[in-house]
Amino acid sequence: MIFGFIPLVNQWGELIQQLTQREIKARYKQSILGYAWVVLAPLLKLTTLSIVFKYFFKINTGEIPYSLFLFTALVPWTYTANAVSAATSSLIANAALITKIKMPRVIFPISAILVKLVDLGLSTAVLLALMLTMGQPIYWTIIWLPLIFLVQMVMTLGVSLILSALNVFYRDVENLLEVFLMIWMYLSPVIYPPEYVPETWRMVYNLNPMVGIINAYRNTLLYGVAPPWESFGYAILVTAGVFIIGWRYFQKRQAVFADVI
Amino acid sequence: MTAIKFDQVSKQYTKGKKLLKEALIEVARFKRAEQFWALKDISLAVEPGEVVGVLGPNGSGKSTLLKLIAGVTEPTTGLVTVKGRIAPLIELGAGFHAELTGRENIYINGSILGLKIKEIDRRLKEIIDFAELVEFIDTPIKHYSSGMYMRLGFSVAIHVDPDILLIDEILAVGDAPFQAKCLRAMNQFKNQEKTMVIVSHASDLLESFCTRGLVIWQGSLAFSGPMTEALKEYRRLLTEQYGNHFNHGYHSHPE
Repeated sequence: MIFGFIPLVNQWGELIQQLTQREIKARYKQSILGYAWVVLAPLLKLTTLSIVFKYFFKINTGEIPYSLFLFTALVPWTYTANAVSAATSSLIANAALITKIKMPRVIFPISAILVKLVDLGLSTAVLLALMLTMGQPIYWTIIWLPLIFLVQMVMTLGVSLILSALNVFYRDVENLLEVFLMIWMYLSPVIYPPEYVPETWRMVYNLNPMVGIINAYRNTLLYGVAPPWESFGYAILVTAGVFIIGWRYFQKRQAVFADVI
Repeated sequence: MTAIKFDQVSKQYTKGKKLLKEALIEVARFKRAEQFWALKDISLAVEPGEVVGVLGPNGSGKSTLLKLIAGVTEPTTGLVTVKGRIAPLIELGAGFHAELTGRENIYINGSILGLKIKEIDRRLKEIIDFAELVEFIDTPIKHYSSGMYMRLGFSVAIHVDPDILLIDEILAVGDAPFQAKCLRAMNQFKNQEKTMVIVSHASDLLESFCTRGLVIWQGSLAFSGPMTEALKEYRRLLTEQYGNHFNHGYHSHPE
């Protein structure tokens, strides 16, 4: 499986790069505001959610200001949600290519996920600015970030592979996606601390890989400690499982994409 | 060495099921989705340098044949072997994005057709010249006329230096000068002994251009041989099926 990945990048890396650049350039040309929205939308979300959950629900995040607590999770979560969403419709969107020209179809979800990295970069810059203005110290544990991010990317790709392949056969996947992402967000510690989840449910709750990933981001960015190994360990295991299932399922189904799309 | 080889190839399609609901109903009723054979038991070999014209009414399986050669779909049974780089002149301008310039789109389209960036760099000038778009190459292609769009797509496609060209009704699009240009390019490929598979309803083109003709009839290979013979056989089958008035009428039957 991993051995399938290396020739893919060797032979088709340039095409992945071209398709990714195509979307980024096209969006930039359509409107500069397209990217301004990438910064403005999460800031609006952040403000609203901060007011509601800090002042109405009185969620307690200790010494860390709630807005910062929220934003460290909202940034990675928004990336995964947007990337999965774009990847799910990526095969249908490229139906004309899939039915006419031979190429590994996995290129389309991969490129959809990569396109969203621009948004992630911009919102991360906003997060950093927020951290600095609020006097949040930057800890040496920041060196964990590449590993956490790698796990998140692999997990996002795994989920995207499953959903994009399913969507070719059942168009309602696209309609169910919004509900799926909403449930997923509420079952992840984005707007509340994971300690709010009753102890008895913690084991099941941790099976959601997003839990470990978000906890790891908060630990390393806000508290200056290593990722919490019980939940982040789960996240790595589940991520590996999701990716293997996703990759296999996609490879098995792609032979008939052109017939049913 | 054979360029294209079909060994007892059949292709079955399942009629569309696009909603979860429909799939569930099928399971609940123990009903299997409706299936049909687009191609049945096709065996053929195309040698390098052959120019093959494919005849057949709409829905006879011609497009499925091209898809199998292009490798975008797999046979249900049998084996398809293709040797060499394929240029599918089926979808001109694959992956073009309207907001991007001609130059940017050359790179996208070229990569899709399997070229490396360096190869595109080297051929860029030729591609632009052939497309006659020197002045407009840095304009977004949403401002292009449909003729300019076709010229750009065609120019990239023929510059991938293919071994095998798949051509589907290409001459049905574009104006007369563009068609003449396509024909010149195709003749050049013929002189270079490239393998070509052409699907077209234009019988005079096929007759003058192809070295071999295939007739696909209801998913089966009904005839394979010299183009003039193939056309005769195709006319005979049409007359048998639809009566005499179809004798000359099949070319006025565009896809």
